Amino acid sequence: MDTILSTMFYFWITLFVVYFLVQRGLWIFSDVAKGTVSFMLEKALGPGADLVEGRPGAGARSWIMQGALWMIFASMFTFTSMWLTHDPDALHSLASWGYTANAEELAAAGVYATLYGTVSMFIIGCSFHIIPKLAGTELASETNANLVSFVWTISVLVLVIGSQNNSILGIDVIPLGVALNNVVLLAVIMNQLLTVANRTRNIATPGWLILIALLSSPILAIVSIVSGAANDNVGQWLTYHIFGGTFFFAGVAGVALYASSIASGNPLWSKTLVGVTLIGSIFTINPFGDVDGQMVMDAFGPLADNNVIPFTNQDMLAASFLMALVSIPVLAFSSNMLVTMRGSDMFVDDPDASGNAELNLGSWLIIPIVIGSLFVQTDTVSGTNELLGISNSLSVMAGWLVLVPLSLGAALSLYPELVGRHLFSQNRARWGFWMMSGGAIFGLSITMIADFMDIALAELLVEDPSILSEELRKVGSVMFYGVVIGSILHSLNMVTGMFRGNLIPKKSVRTSSISVESYPLVSPTTIRRILSSGADLDTEVIPTGENDEKGSATKL
Amino acid sequence: MSTNTIDSVDVFLQGEKEPSGSWVFIVLGLVLSLSFLVLYSILYPGQDLPVISDLMPVFKGVFDSGIWFFILGTMIGIFAILGRLLLEATSE
Repeated sequence: MDTILSTMFYFWITLFVVYFLVQRGLWIFSDVAKGTVSFMLEKALGPGADLVEGRPGAGARSWIMQGALWMIFASMFTFTSMWLTHDPDALHSLASWGYTANAEELAAAGVYATLYGTVSMFIIGCSFHIIPKLAGTELASETNANLVSFVWTISVLVLVIGSQNNSILGIDVIPLGVALNNVVLLAVIMNQLLTVANRTRNIATPGWLILIALLSSPILAIVSIVSGAANDNVGQWLTYHIFGGTFFFAGVAGVALYASSIASGNPLWSKTLVGVTLIGSIFTINPFGDVDGQMVMDAFGPLADNNVIPFTNQDMLAASFLMALVSIPVLAFSSNMLVTMRGSDMFVDDPDASGNAELNLGSWLIIPIVIGSLFVQTDTVSGTNELLGISNSLSVMAGWLVLVPLSLGAALSLYPELVGRHLFSQNRARWGFWMMSGGAIFGLSITMIADFMDIALAELLVEDPSILSEELRKVGSVMFYGVVIGSILHSLNMVTGMFRGNLIPKKSVRTSSISVESYPLVSPTTIRRILSSGADLDTEVIPTGENDEKGSATKL
Repeated sequence: MSTNTIDSVDVFLQGEKEPSGSWVFIVLGLVLSLSFLVLYSILYPGQDLPVISDLMPVFKGVFDSGIWFFILGTMIGIFAILGRLLLEATSE
């Protein structure tokens, strides 16, 4: 069997087994497992647990605030790499400190900071709030959730350092960072699974999107190493894209779908479409990101080999087919988001709610960017390599115009409930949105135009670099600086809001993402309160009968 | 006769609704800055925009690229966040 189908088959089977175990428990070992995990999450930390607070929401808050701070560094690394592409000697003065800045290495630092520092921290932070809410219980260990956020930040720092110099004192730094990262992820998964084990009701599908996203990462790593996929470029390419489809796409989709309901005050439009998004994220190959699996090889370090083999015909067919199928979950996700945010009755609880704009932007732009990525990846898989020149710009676009807006939008939507206060300034949040989205759209589009010019010149065998292309790259990088300013505005707004934002009243309960079929009316109430309980125009309001007759003893 | 002037100025007020007129000034600022850039290229044809080391020769050999304007801007932003955290954490 070929690499693509066999690896995906093992991945699907393992994921299904884990899903089955999560649903059904571990038979007679369930209680022992619960006790052991509970001990590991709290008591086993020893004095480490005293370093952080364990109040409700502390874990989610900590992850989201650190994610916001990483956003500044992520955008700055990306901006600097874009600048150094047209002006390689711009930071030559840093050489006197022993640091030689390089566009490619800074781009890699930007990718690690964006994906692991920003997007992952937002996804995990939001999940610590969403999963307990959907499960109708409390998070198993707030202390652990809070503490491991700092270890995750250290792991991202190690990855960023590794992207600049992968070997320090003979030790591979990136595998070390990835190992640390996975230890934290394991703690996060244990925490969430223990929360799910204590659930009092069935978890709505957005919750499963998040759980599958979290579980897929270690499962994929094991499958990739055991099946040997990590040893050649085809397997590494596949591992990279399955990870992107399950952890990033499913994770972002889960938190964004939940937040779309919270931000708009409308119940989630379609449960079927969420299911399609979930199944599609597992059974298709997501084309976002790089055209090679270099990141996987760097991450696995000594566990991966460097064999270069061409895609076989079977691999080519399977990869192209599974990538084309990604349009199904992407369309399902996008349409569900957009209709939910508008609502069936155009009722928006709070049209000025922060995060709405980001969620809208990500939901719109995911479609053109996924189509563009599909062309680039198919071009690579088939070995044509004509569109290789725009792959980097498109990959950065997927990060800054889809993953970051959706995860940031979700974090901003949940912010009032987590912090107990509103953002410091709605106006500043709006400015942050316009700076970020404008900077990313114009900066990256102009850079992509320069990419196309370079591709055309290379095809015509023109050796001299184009001055116009260089000028465009300058303009593109300067415009991308808007993303840095936007990140600073958002972070400052979130930090200040923690201390000075308007307090939210205790009675302000936001809607759940689950639509209710009927609403029992026991006493006079307002239409707003009925709608905020998750009811929509089709919900049946049933007056519950009451009488004033005097009660008497029950006859036995 | 004494007037209590403190009461009238000790509360800082900031509106959340953005007045439509403010956009005029932002657009005007953008147009002006673009005009100056065009004027610069007419007055000094073929010459790059000044960088920090041109304005402050003490930084010659250090801040020789325009990227330093942007890096310093980001550093100001990061220090604003750190300063805000420290101030809020230590304020009564």
